[in-house]
Amino acid sequence: MKSLDPRINRLDVPEERNTDFRKDPMDQLETYEVFIQPKVDKPFQHEGIVHATDQDMAFVFAKEQYSRRGTCSGIMIIKTADVFTTAFSDAGVSIYQKIKPASDPEDQKVNYEVFHLMKRGKQHTHVGIVRATSTEDAVFQAKMILDQGKPVFNVWVAKSDNIYISEVAYRDIWDTLPEKTFREAIDYRGAEKIKKFKDEQGSQK
Amino acid sequence: MNTEAIIDLLYKIADDQLIIGHRNSEWTGLGPILEEDIAFSSMAQDKIGQSLVLYRMLNDLGESDPDTIAFMRNADQFHCCQFVELPIGEFDFSIIRQFLFDTSEIIRFEMLSSSAYEPLALASKKFKGEIKYHIMHANIFMKQLGNATEESVKRLQDALETAMPYALGIFETSEYEDAMMDEGIFAGEATLRNKWTERIEEVISNTALKLPDIGNIEPKTGGRYGKHTAHLQPLLDEMAEVLRIDPGADW
Amino acid sequence: MYGGGNLFEPMSKDALKEEDPVKLSEFEARIERGEKIEPADWMPQMYRRQLIRMIEQHAHSEIIGALPEGTWITRAPGFKRKLALMAKVQDEVGHAQLLYSAAETLGKSREAMINDLINGKSKYSNVFNYPAFTWADCCFISWLVDAGAIVNQMANAKGSYGPYCRALARITIEEAFHLKYGHHCVIHLATGTPTQRKMMQEAINRWWKPMLQFFGPPDRISAHTEVLMKWKVKMLSNDGCRQQWLDMYVPKIWELGLTLPDDKLRQNPDTGKWEYTEPDWDEFKKVINGDGPCNKERLAVRRTAEERGRWVREALRKPKSEYVVPLA
Ligand SMILES: [Fe+2]
Ligand SMILES: [Fe+2]
Repeated sequence: MKSLDPRINRLDVPEERNTDFRKDPMDQLETYEVFIQPKVDKPFQHEGIVHATDQDMAFVFAKEQYSRRGTCSGIMIIKTADVFTTAFSDAGVSIYQKIKPASDPEDQKVNYEVFHLMKRGKQHTHVGIVRATSTEDAVFQAKMILDQGKPVFNVWVAKSDNIYISEVAYRDIWDTLPEKTFREAIDYRGAEKIKKFKDEQGSQK
Repeated sequence: MNTEAIIDLLYKIADDQLIIGHRNSEWTGLGPILEEDIAFSSMAQDKIGQSLVLYRMLNDLGESDPDTIAFMRNADQFHCCQFVELPIGEFDFSIIRQFLFDTSEIIRFEMLSSSAYEPLALASKKFKGEIKYHIMHANIFMKQLGNATEESVKRLQDALETAMPYALGIFETSEYEDAMMDEGIFAGEATLRNKWTERIEEVISNTALKLPDIGNIEPKTGGRYGKHTAHLQPLLDEMAEVLRIDPGADW
Repeated sequence: MYGGGNLFEPMSKDALKEEDPVKLSEFEARIERGEKIEPADWMPQMYRRQLIRMIEQHAHSEIIGALPEGTWITRAPGFKRKLALMAKVQDEVGHAQLLYSAAETLGKSREAMINDLINGKSKYSNVFNYPAFTWADCCFISWLVDAGAIVNQMANAKGSYGPYCRALARITIEEAFHLKYGHHCVIHLATGTPTQRKMMQEAINRWWKPMLQFFGPPDRISAHTEVLMKWKVKMLSNDGCRQQWLDMYVPKIWELGLTLPDDKLRQNPDTGKWEYTEPDWDEFKKVINGDGPCNKERLAVRRTAEERGRWVREALRKPKSEYVVPLA
């Protein structure tokens, strides 16, 4: 197939194909939830997902999809399947109002990371860690310890053992972000050129 | 300080960075999975950004402005190694090239971080974070694809063998090796090659791949002296196609 | 990037009959209050289907939209343009990634969406079925097609579905860069040498009609979408988007001394509305149904890219992996 794009010409794209295109199941791999910490003293905030094969690769992908502008000091990755989510509440009612104790005090406690959604349509933010015997218990512990009174519309919890946080030693991978001004609107000012052009047009008349 | 040696050194690194960045940018929108498409594009941008920093340094040493030297020279005036000018091929070749080339590059910049030529030492330190990420990316893909399916292992092995003679061409020595070592500008290609061999051996040993017998491979050299494969001139013509419509214009 | 002219599924009067009336009224009340709908919420089937359709079309438009500008990625003139165009096209791929993810939260897998794109079952913005002949075409797209997309995306960002709004919030920030970059390119060509000016004018002449069509057929001949407006799925009418774009950009094109190839184009001083020669909507339909200058190439290229990447994804796929719908 002949294209205007020289890259496409090098690809040898067949002119005709007679079969339907079909992807295999899981062709696009599993999904991982991505949380970005914009500055060291800021909490991790949910930014979206990446499709990847494991947490290491999810991190490599997340870094350029979710932190190629602005500032970043760390990324947290959790496989979607490892996040437990409560139901959603609305109209100013906190989901914590529906949360009942769920613990069997005999069971062993482990750490869970807790995330709150403070407004529908906004992003989940990391609010702390609780020790709990199960995901349900983790939500209840979060209600006891991390609920600040303001309505929380949805809660996520995930075992701390299942999360990946980028190493502090790797923070320098974001060091040159402020220099990537070619990705920013501010780098493209045209007003002066327009003014000069208009002035010239005016003086010609 | 030996300015001629510095200029020669800067040209070869800058040209490497520009050409590999240009090649890798060809993947944009055509990558194997959306996320990788994005990552690969960023790394290509990093490389081109780095070449720009180095061309500016050359400009400070009296060479033409970056757009002119990058876009207006012919192939025989380029000092990149032949490795970077080869077409992107399939993803196996591109990832093997990233692994082999970027490993040499991270070591080169580590070495140059203590260069007696201050501007280059500073730039090398600045690039460190970016290249660290590139290496992380390359190594993760080597580990994954180099241990996965029969097809992926075979593809990587084949690519590794095709790439190796060209990869060894990275370390083609310049006529200023001794002068640069004496003045502490750069510790030389031989040292770089030794360190590189150690590092790639280590990564490859964690895969199902076999490292070709490097000692018995004839490196593809000439690039550092302007002798290139048939791929470079068309690449440069393509890169400058628009600019050449009206070279004096402000685009 | 993406324009108006979403193709929604035709909706019969009975579409909501099957839905639980109590849940439906709670759902509508939530939207009425201005609260977003989140993936785990109850929602009418029709809301889910139309949203998937719309967000999926938007995602496809981003990934296909990377191709016309990608045509010039290896030829951008000079470092500044080279870096910018790489970053710009990369953003478009990123937008596809974000939007596919938003659509996934509604229950359609990325595999299924890509299948439907390549097999021609789902649509993408018609404007990308036109070729980018010269560098100036590429600049036109970056500035003015993106400007059109922004009009639509800013409106949709106020819609009701949480994940789509979050994706659009990220996207519109990046679009600000695209718009400024594109404008910067066009300013340079329009105020540059005679050769540059000519290139730019010719590109404008080529793109004017597809650009007007970008926003979709006029409201009077479009499918009725009252319910979708009430549910805040569709936020602005096609004509509304088109008028906004004309209002903002025609003066900016004119101020660069460029002309638009339509003698009827003018802003009616009484109504404030722009008048123009109606583009050929039969041709629009023909192109959207597959018979445009680049439809075949666009899909064939996507397919080739997918097929060439298949062994990579196969190698990355773990035997025990299981798909879980993303959370937000
Ligand atoms: Fe855009
Ligand atoms: Fe976009």
